[in-house]
Amino acid sequence: MPAPSVHMVDLAVTAVIVALCAFLFWDTTTFEKVPESLAQNVQPTMFPRLLLAVIVVMALFLPFEHVQKKMHGIDLDSARSDWVRPITYVTGLGLLGMVIATPWLGTFLAMVVACALFPVLWGERRYWLVAIYAVAFPLAITLLFVAGLEVNFEPGIAGHLFR
Amino acid sequence: MNPEAIIAGATLIFSVESFALILLSVLIGVTIGALPGLSSTMAVALLLPFTIGMDPILAISMMAALYCAGTFGGSITAILINTPGAPPAVATSFDGYPMAQRGEAGRALGMAAVASVTGGIFSLIVFIIAAPLLARIALSFRPQEYFALTLFGLSMLAAISGKSALRNLIAGAFGVLVSTVGIHLVTGVERFTFGTSALYEGIDFVPVLIGIFAISEMLNQSQILDVVRERVRSVAVRLPSRDDFRRCWATILRSCGIGTFIGILPAEGTTVAAIMGYNEAKRWSKNKDEFGKGSIEGIAGPEAANNAGTGGAMVPTLALGIPGSGTTAVILAALIMHGFRPGPYLMRETPEFLYAIFTAMLIANVMFLVVGLGGAKIFAMITLIPRTFLWPSVFVLSTVGAYAYRQTMFDVWVMLIAGLIGFLALRHGFGPAPFVMGLVLGGLIEESWSQAMIIFDSNWLRFFESPICNLFFALSAASILGPLVGPKIAAAFRRLRPRQDAPMRE
Repeated sequence: MPAPSVHMVDLAVTAVIVALCAFLFWDTTTFEKVPESLAQNVQPTMFPRLLLAVIVVMALFLPFEHVQKKMHGIDLDSARSDWVRPITYVTGLGLLGMVIATPWLGTFLAMVVACALFPVLWGERRYWLVAIYAVAFPLAITLLFVAGLEVNFEPGIAGHLFR
Repeated sequence: MNPEAIIAGATLIFSVESFALILLSVLIGVTIGALPGLSSTMAVALLLPFTIGMDPILAISMMAALYCAGTFGGSITAILINTPGAPPAVATSFDGYPMAQRGEAGRALGMAAVASVTGGIFSLIVFIIAAPLLARIALSFRPQEYFALTLFGLSMLAAISGKSALRNLIAGAFGVLVSTVGIHLVTGVERFTFGTSALYEGIDFVPVLIGIFAISEMLNQSQILDVVRERVRSVAVRLPSRDDFRRCWATILRSCGIGTFIGILPAEGTTVAAIMGYNEAKRWSKNKDEFGKGSIEGIAGPEAANNAGTGGAMVPTLALGIPGSGTTAVILAALIMHGFRPGPYLMRETPEFLYAIFTAMLIANVMFLVVGLGGAKIFAMITLIPRTFLWPSVFVLSTVGAYAYRQTMFDVWVMLIAGLIGFLALRHGFGPAPFVMGLVLGGLIEESWSQAMIIFDSNWLRFFESPICNLFFALSAASILGPLVGPKIAAAFRRLRPRQDAPMRE
């Protein structure tokens, strides 16, 4: 059976890119209008619109690119042929959770939780090692940044308690 | 050349503090380079927030030293355990690992170190000669020529390593688009801020760079957690013998030239240089059959080329403000953050600054020869650090690094979003390096385009009045169409060749 000329995954990628560009183009219509004398022939919308048009034109070729690539023995699907593994979704959610929790927990505690959570999530079962790591590494980072580089971390619960 | 500036630049670096920081960068660079998954680009991006309060010369010198050492570091694991620590070392593993299997790991590592240092020093000599010349030419550039040059730099993304020129160009264009977020410099109008005050000044480089290189790679690594690394055997590194030198000197010299040239081309990185260095080493070798089975020339070729590429990539970065590779795009971002405008004016106003960076890179090359020869076994053992601890550490460093620069959680969110988008984009073939190049060059391309349009009274046809613009436009067209037309031309030549080789009729 001959290969279909339109790559369905790339068609979806194109649709996402075109939709994003259309949204951003709409956003350019909300930019403030500037008098010609001030804009000096360069309206703030000009360059982004030009760029969006270029991106859309290039994206329209994406669903057909695989035909040319296949002729030269290049498989565009090799990196995405496998499904994203559940651990990757869990890791992504974990990262999101840590960023959400940081203002509440404070940077130091958030680091401790991250250093305890991710190794276990990724299959580490030497809990004593995880415990040492979860305390020692955030301490070292805190010392380096707070004492060495004078960065003010998010205080969070721990910071407020000590205050 | 300006001998006074060279001496002044070298003097800036000759202090205990500088040497200690360069040594530290070399150690970090070789370590990061040796660790599969961690790239020197990521390391330079992570180093950025640490250097914000530092003296700019020291900050950029540290990054440049890390770049040189990281490129070499990848060869250690490529040779010892067939796992290139960084993409430029891929070609080194073709012959390095078979040599290690034969019990000649020490000889292979010795040649890798010597070839790398030779390549690095050669490209630095070219840098010291070429950068002022390029800068002098670029000083005569008007906005329209700068626009054409930057466009050429972006068009080279089509030829950058990766499977798809089209995807590289789209990623680069998105990078440029992201650079337009914030207040428009000509009119003072807000663009793409969606009413968020944190976006008025635009999206900062630091969190985007950290997110796109570190967080997306962390997500990528979570998919290959079950890969078991080989344990390192005992290895004594030794300098190449006279016979090895006799066999490899021509290969090293050739690769020095190739690497430096490829490095100087905007957007082309050390990976392309290394692969070309390997291919040319094989093509010109008297022992072609040995390649892939453990040829010493197969190590000298790519190693000299990839390290020559580092110095070469610094030439357009510092002389023109156009990055020569993904890592130099990050270094360029660092220069901008430290208040410099990279390009010919930097070369004219503060030449000693550039020569200080040159001196730092030279010192780094000598240091990694010593460190690489002396500590190859230790660096290779670093690969045994469990990923279960390595990547959470990267996440913590990324979060704190993104936060530390402006001390706002907004930047941490930018880092996370950049990482998540970067991971998804990479799965579909949109690489991080083209995006970063677009992001870094975005400001320059819009600024020069706006200035030219003001000068031309919006008549864009006047771009074609300048011969320099026409040259860069032609080069841009060639680099964009090259990946499309190039294979067809090569195929046509292949079709012609058998006819030429066919026996003549009697």
